[in-house]
Amino acid sequence: MKKIIFVLCYSVVALSIFAYGKTTESKQLSYLLSGQYAKKMTEASQKLEELDTAVQKTLLFNEKEGFDEAREDIWRLSSDVKNSVGSLPVDRGFSNAWMNYLGRLGNYAKEADRLGDKEEYHQAMTKASFNLREMADEWQVATRDLVSGEVTVEGWQNQLDSVDVDHDWDEMRETVKQYTESDFPLTASESNALKKKELQMLTDQKVTREEAVEHFKTLFPEVSHSSVVVENSQPDAPYPFYHIRFAENGTVGYIDITEKGGHVLSFLSERSFSQKVQSYEFIKDQGERFLKEAGYEDVVLEEARENDTSWHFVFVRVEPVYGAKVFSDAIHLKVAKDTGGIIGLDAMEYIQKEELDRQPITEQNWETFFRPHVTVVEEELAYVENDRMDQRLAHYLTVTLDVNDQIDTYVVVVDTETEEVIKTEKQP
Amino acid sequence: MKRIFKGILLGFILVGSIYTISPIQSEAFSNQQIQRGAFGDDVIELQARLQYVGFYTGTIDGKYGYGTYWALRNFQEQYGLPVDGVAGEATKQKLIGVSNYDEKFVKRNIEEGNRFTHYGNQSLDEQVNKGAGQNNSPQVPAKYSNEDIQLMANAVYGEARGEPYEGQVAVAAVILNRVEHADFPDTVGGVIFQPGAFTAVADGQIWLTPNERAKEAVIDAINGWDPSENSIYYFNPITATSKWIWSRPQIKKIGLHVFCY
Repeated sequence: MKKIIFVLCYSVVALSIFAYGKTTESKQLSYLLSGQYAKKMTEASQKLEELDTAVQKTLLFNEKEGFDEAREDIWRLSSDVKNSVGSLPVDRGFSNAWMNYLGRLGNYAKEADRLGDKEEYHQAMTKASFNLREMADEWQVATRDLVSGEVTVEGWQNQLDSVDVDHDWDEMRETVKQYTESDFPLTASESNALKKKELQMLTDQKVTREEAVEHFKTLFPEVSHSSVVVENSQPDAPYPFYHIRFAENGTVGYIDITEKGGHVLSFLSERSFSQKVQSYEFIKDQGERFLKEAGYEDVVLEEARENDTSWHFVFVRVEPVYGAKVFSDAIHLKVAKDTGGIIGLDAMEYIQKEELDRQPITEQNWETFFRPHVTVVEEELAYVENDRMDQRLAHYLTVTLDVNDQIDTYVVVVDTETEEVIKTEKQP
Repeated sequence: MKRIFKGILLGFILVGSIYTISPIQSEAFSNQQIQRGAFGDDVIELQARLQYVGFYTGTIDGKYGYGTYWALRNFQEQYGLPVDGVAGEATKQKLIGVSNYDEKFVKRNIEEGNRFTHYGNQSLDEQVNKGAGQNNSPQVPAKYSNEDIQLMANAVYGEARGEPYEGQVAVAAVILNRVEHADFPDTVGGVIFQPGAFTAVADGQIWLTPNERAKEAVIDAINGWDPSENSIYYFNPITATSKWIWSRPQIKKIGLHVFCY
């Protein structure tokens, strides 16, 4: 009996010590997290003020150096505040709208030297400065409880999740959205990019469910005896499509086909693979033959990557005027290594093709354009999207940089008309 | 008796000679050509042999990128072979003839994630630094790192391991769509660890070890597949508590998840 009482007492004491330790540890972690969040929120407030000052500074100068310096500050600070907002526990809808505004503000400042009319810049930034001050005040009120330590992180999170929140985050979100629309509206190129993404220009005839299934079975005869389940996209989808799921002999997968025109958006199948490996040439030929038979006749192979069970290929459209590759009109293909069968196709970007403008081609002397230890090993023409989302004809160069016998390879994309370097990317 | 003895001796010599001159299969290339974009054991051997003779100075990782390409072209040029950056039969035979390949050493160090080299002019033991190297990771477009792949695989496994493969690729695609979208952080890590963004981060399931299926789903998404049709959110209608998420325009349902803008 004594022994039982001893064991029980011992267990109760041990459990109490353990529970006390855990509670203390949990509290310590909670304090630590509260401290970190409070610090970040305070920093975000300070940086918001600095950002407003930088915006105002750009309104001071006509002189280029002072103007450019202040613009760089806007770009840096807007990026800093965006990062802070992205790592803080605030209302999700608000943080998304706020990050969008900050990103657009930074990009606008970065691109300002391309604006012919400085008056336009001044008008936009005057509004932005006013709105930033309003938001800085709102931000301080909204984050006061956590910054002052009046609520714990848990309490703060509960407030955010609660239906009856203390602070009206919805109103803040709507306010920021309005600021974005008024201060930095979408450019024509951004609208075009959105139209392409949402297939807004698709005018083809509607295909029926049966026709969509038939199209799937014609394209992929190896799974043509599958049992299929067809669903329509949800009513909110910007472009309606059929979602077809299939299963046949251990292979399962899906294909999405647009209602307008019956275009394949994407197809992916999953199955087990054997140890057999076909040659690269055979696999590549299978991919190219499939694309030709499927009607994708104006594409060329751009990239090939082997992985454990398959090859991933990227094909891009070649436009007829300059014979330039159009990187935004791409098709992705996944081919099995064991059989050479097509197990994946993504042609979404190819459906609504880019509208391309003709563009002058200025001859370049690459020897003077690059430093002496750089060699251009391949040169071709391509349409590439710049950071303002314009499709630009460009020299698409593969260059090597040879330093201390270490050869690194880069892709450098140079606008054929303006000589702007659109992209520089180190190749693996 | 002498004849029998001579016959046996001759037999031994013949078998011994065949054994000596024939290549050891486990240490030799397969019969496939090796070119840019290739991946796997053949590329590991190619890089190790090129490094053995001093042509390749990069990491032995089984990925045939530009570093391997230029090294092979230089090798072909030096040995009077057609310079095309493709390791065909003649190139492979020449490489085998002029280099050694310690497969066990190379594979062990890749497996253990060590940083190592395979130069022929120094002891292999002196060419290993424990850790700090890279495990054999898959090939993806240049802008994604091994850390991105690992983190995304963890997120996909933590969020959607019970979902169909299509649903797992869609979750990975949502992460990538957010990275490209103005409303979200610009990095994979920033998106995944944005407070409140993913349940798996909040409940710690993101730290479970992902399986091969989750990794494959991430590779497909990174290589361009998006079964979510450009979605930037998804939720489980059975468990979702947020009123706000129901206000998002819905695109498609995959498994238990509704994908939306």
